[in-house]
Formats: sequence, C-alpha cells, structure tokens
Amino acid sequence: MEDSLNHKVEQLVDYIMKHCLWQFHSRTWDRERQNKEILAKTTQILCDEPVDKETPEARCYWVDAKSLAEAFQTRYPWLNAMGKDEIKGLMEGLKERIDFLTIKGSLNEELNDPRY
Amino acid sequence: MPYHEFECSKCIPERKQHAVDKGPGENVTDALPLGYQNTIPGSISERGCAYCGAKHVIGTPMKDVIHMSHGPVGCTYDTWQTKRYISDNDNFQLKYTYATDMKEKHIVFGAEKLLKQNIIEAFKAFPTMKRMTIYQTCASALIGDDMNAIAQEVMDDMPDVDIFVCNSPGFAGPSQSGGHHKINIAWINQKVGQVEPKITSDYVINYVGEYNIQGDQEVMLDFFKRMGIQVLSTFTGNGSYDDLRAMHKAHLNVLECARSAEYICNELRVRYGIPRLDIDGFGFGPMSDTLMKIGMFFGIEDRARAIIAEETAKWKPELDWYRERLTGKKVCLWPGGSKLWHWAHVIHAEMGVNVVSVYTKFGHQGDMEKGIARCEEGALAIDDPNELEGLEALERLKPDVIFTGKRPGEVAKKVGVPYLNAHAYHNGPYKGYEGWVRFARDIYNAIYSPIHQLSLVDISKDEIPAEPRFMTQRMISDATLSAEITSSTEMRQYSGKYDTIAALRAKTYPSFPRTSTQLSAT
Repeated sequence: MEDSLNHKVEQLVDYIMKHCLWQFHSRTWDRERQNKEILAKTTQILCDEPVDKETPEARCYWVDAKSLAEAFQTRYPWLNAMGKDEIKGLMEGLKERIDFLTIKGSLNEELNDPRY
Repeated sequence: MPYHEFECSKCIPERKQHAVDKGPGENVTDALPLGYQNTIPGSISERGCAYCGAKHVIGTPMKDVIHMSHGPVGCTYDTWQTKRYISDNDNFQLKYTYATDMKEKHIVFGAEKLLKQNIIEAFKAFPTMKRMTIYQTCASALIGDDMNAIAQEVMDDMPDVDIFVCNSPGFAGPSQSGGHHKINIAWINQKVGQVEPKITSDYVINYVGEYNIQGDQEVMLDFFKRMGIQVLSTFTGNGSYDDLRAMHKAHLNVLECARSAEYICNELRVRYGIPRLDIDGFGFGPMSDTLMKIGMFFGIEDRARAIIAEETAKWKPELDWYRERLTGKKVCLWPGGSKLWHWAHVIHAEMGVNVVSVYTKFGHQGDMEKGIARCEEGALAIDDPNELEGLEALERLKPDVIFTGKRPGEVAKKVGVPYLNAHAYHNGPYKGYEGWVRFARDIYNAIYSPIHQLSLVDISKDEIPAEPRFMTQRMISDATLSAEITSSTEMRQYSGKYDTIAALRAKTYPSFPRTSTQLSAT
C-alpha cells in the first residue's frame, strides 16, 4: 500500500520536475511559499473545493495550480478514481517530497543567502 | 555524490566539485555541481565579465538608446555582427556602438571631462535619440569617475534627454551573471515608476528576460496581441527605454529567462505587488502551457486555445517529420544559462534526441537544479568548463551535435562534432511553434550535412574510397527509416519562409473591446 502511494507520488514529482519552474525559485523562503501555495491550490482543485484567486498574487498561484491539476488528471488516470481523502493524503506526500527535493535536501548553497 | 573528475583537470583538484554524473535513480539531492563561484586559477574559463552581462546581455537589446561604454574601446567588442538581438527600428542599438576610448592619460588624470564630451557629442550626432545608457568598465571604476554626477550635469543642460547609469565593472562578480543582477537592480532603482503609460487593454503584462534573438520576442508578441494582451514593456529585447520606465503598471510579469531577470521581477513583486509567472517559450507543449496560463490569469483562455489549435495543426506535421529523423541522436546541451533548463526535457520529449550532457558557463546552482531535474539519467553536468574539459567530454560522449556558443562551437567543429549556436541561433527565431520547427530543421541540417562525408575523413590515416559515393541528406537520414515514414503524406519538411519576422511587423490585429480595469496590481 505504502509502496503504491510512493510510486504515485514519484510519478507526480517527475511531472513537476520535468515540466514546471515554480518550485525552483532562488531562496528557501521563496521556495517554501511557492510549494505551499501552489500545491495547496492544486489539492483544492483536485478535490473540487473553492480556491482563492481574488488578488493578483493568489491568481498567479492558481494559474500554476490549475495547469498542474489538469496535467495530473490527464496523464494519471488513477487519480480520477481516488476519493478526496486519498487525494489529500497523496498531495501531502507530494508536498513533503517536493519540499525535500527543493529545500530540505537541496545541495544549493545559495538557498539561504540573505541577499537576492 | 557522483562527482566527475576530468583527466585533464586532475592538476586543478578544485574542479572536481564542478561536474557530476546523473546516475540511475539519482536526483538533484544526490548530484549538484558547485556554481557561480570565482573561476579557479589555472582553469581557462569561457565566461564573460560582469560588464558584459550588464551591457551586452541586458542593456544593449534596448532599441531606442545610445549605449555608451565609459572605458577602452575594446570593451565594446560585442555588437553588430557578433550579437543577434534584432530590433524593429532598423537595429539602431546594434549598428552603432559608442565608447569614450579611455587611454593611459585618462587613468592618470581622470576621464570625467572626456565622458561629458562624449555624451554631448553622441546626442548631437544622433539628434533623434534622446535616451542613453552609460556603462562603467573596469578602467573607469578603478579611477573612481563619478558617472552619475556627469550624467546629471548633462540632463540639467539638456532637459529633453534621459540617461541611465549602470555601475557594473567587469570585475564586479564571478561572471556575466553578476552584471545581470546589477543592471536589474539599477534599472528598478533609477528608472521604473518615472513614466505613466497609456493603458489600452484590460490585460497588461511585462515580458521579462526576453532578448529578441533573431526575432523571438516578436514571435511571442504576435501571440500576445492575438489574445488582446498589451505588452507594456519587454525587458529588454526590442524593448523601448520609456516603456521600461513604466513597468510598474503591468498586471503580470511573464518571466522567460529567470537567470538574467528574476531580480527585477522579484523587486516588482515586492514594491508594486505584480506577480511573477515563470514560463517556457520553447517547444509545442511548454508554449501551449504558457499561453494557457496567461490566458487563465486574465480569464481569456478561449483565445489561447484558439491559437494553440491553429498553430499546432499547422506546424506539428513538420515537427514530426524531423522527430522521425532525429530520434536517438545524442546532444550536448552546452548553452550559457537558461536554455540549459528551457531545452533539457523538451528536446527529448518532442524531438526524440538524448541529452548526454548539460553545462552552463555562468548559471547558478539553481539553474543546474532545473537542468539536472529535467535531463535524463546518465547525463554529465558541468559548471564553468574549460576548453580541455569540453574536448575530453566530447571524446568520451561522442555526441551527434552540440548546442553551444560560437567560441566552444568552433572548437567542437574541429573535432568533428556539428555545432548549433544556442545563444544567437543559426536560422531562428526558435520560439513559438514555427520557431521550434526551424530549430528542428537546423538540428537536422547540422547532423545530416553532406559535408561530413568529406570533413570527417582524416586523409592522414583513413582509407579514401576510390568510387564516388556522395550521398544527399535524405539518403543518409532516411536509410534506416521504414517506408511508412519515408512515404508519409502527413509529415512534411519545414515550409516556412527564410524571414518570418517581416510579416509579423506588417501584421494588423483585431481590437478587443475593453470591459473593465480589473486586476490592477498597484
């Protein structure tokens, strides 16, 4: 069961790494914000929940999230068979993995530079 | 950590941390070279300097400007015939280049008078040009000339002119990337917010980190105009000085080259609340995603869909023709910075080529993270390589073609590896749908050029066949393809014109009625 979940998470990770740019902003604080906002909105879209897109900033995050959710649903049909709780569990695992790859486990020595 | 040690660099042990092999199952937390470090003494780097990054990459693509270097005349080398960031005002900024021509006596006695004389002389020589940028060089920085004071004196005397001063001498950073940073920050500090633009659309963007290489910006502008989007400014390819002073009024910053221009986007986000959307403008899939994202931001995704459908129907059969003939070919992707990650995945996904190595001359570790994440397993990733390392990598990897700049590219040709210019292009533009087919066509021509039948033969040792055996490109490329592919009536070779930009400049666009002043970020 866990292997299956990890396998699914890795498929989603692979898509993000090959097709997206938002996860690789220059600094830790920026990556934390990007990962949190975009993956939270992606989860809401996948679960048919309301998404905040009122401010320009929120709308920009929503755009990346919407594009990601549509790609996931098109490429990974197994996602459409999952319930909302399962999707949320999957997306939590995805967020954890993306945070590791781009922040916690990153070898990028510039991430914590206080200046841009 | 699978560091890659070059045989030729064993005498420079620090170099080992600048190259890694992406092994099976490994990711960016297993393998990442150092980046944006001072070049190691003893390693002959191929980088540019911080002055070059400020002036020749970002400053000079601005089209309606007198670009003056305050320093020795040699600093102005990169100009007409070496750069290809064209503009729609007859390439003024490329044709004319200016330097104050500092000599030893100016180093001793100062060059402020010389600078003022040159500024006034240039404005008088080109009376229609009312905007100027002045670039500090190593020489003028070391003697401490106060360029800002001189510029202000001239502006006081000539109220109709405006001057931007960029203090980014060559030594102000490990590479050209230091200059990118400096000019980004200098521009927003000195100039953004000074001009109030005329807003003509409900949908207003800055297009940032785009340098109009052989017309790339104009291809993208065509898509934006077809969607009814006003492009307030382009930072900086084919961009106008005064438009760039009005960047603060856009609703969205669309960022192409984050390596060279993320700084100004980040500052516009903090100071004016304009969000930053990172995009890929290369390849059918990424281009479609980009148009859809911008369309969704403004609620006009139907307009994006129409463009995607039209362009894909027109150009996909031509991309497919090349894909069939390029699949499996090995590529060294050795550009300067952002194309490392713009191209790393999409050339594999859409053209079938295998990226066996990525390198960057001036990228940071963040660029390598993007590039390594996107390329396939087995690739060799190198930061700031020297020429011997490049040659050793070519010998080991035996690529079918290399995408790089003109200097390492000519070296590659000498060892029998065809080269395409990744910076200035061969026959661009490469952006957009048609541009992507032009890129595929150029790759095909590079790999399958009949000249290799002669140029790759070493007459000192290879046996020269007695019978004439000249083969055309098609005979070589189609030799192993099935009849189904070679006789396909669906797929076809590139059908576009030599010059695709002239038609865009003459084009008229539909007007879209305005509905509101929504989405103002300020």
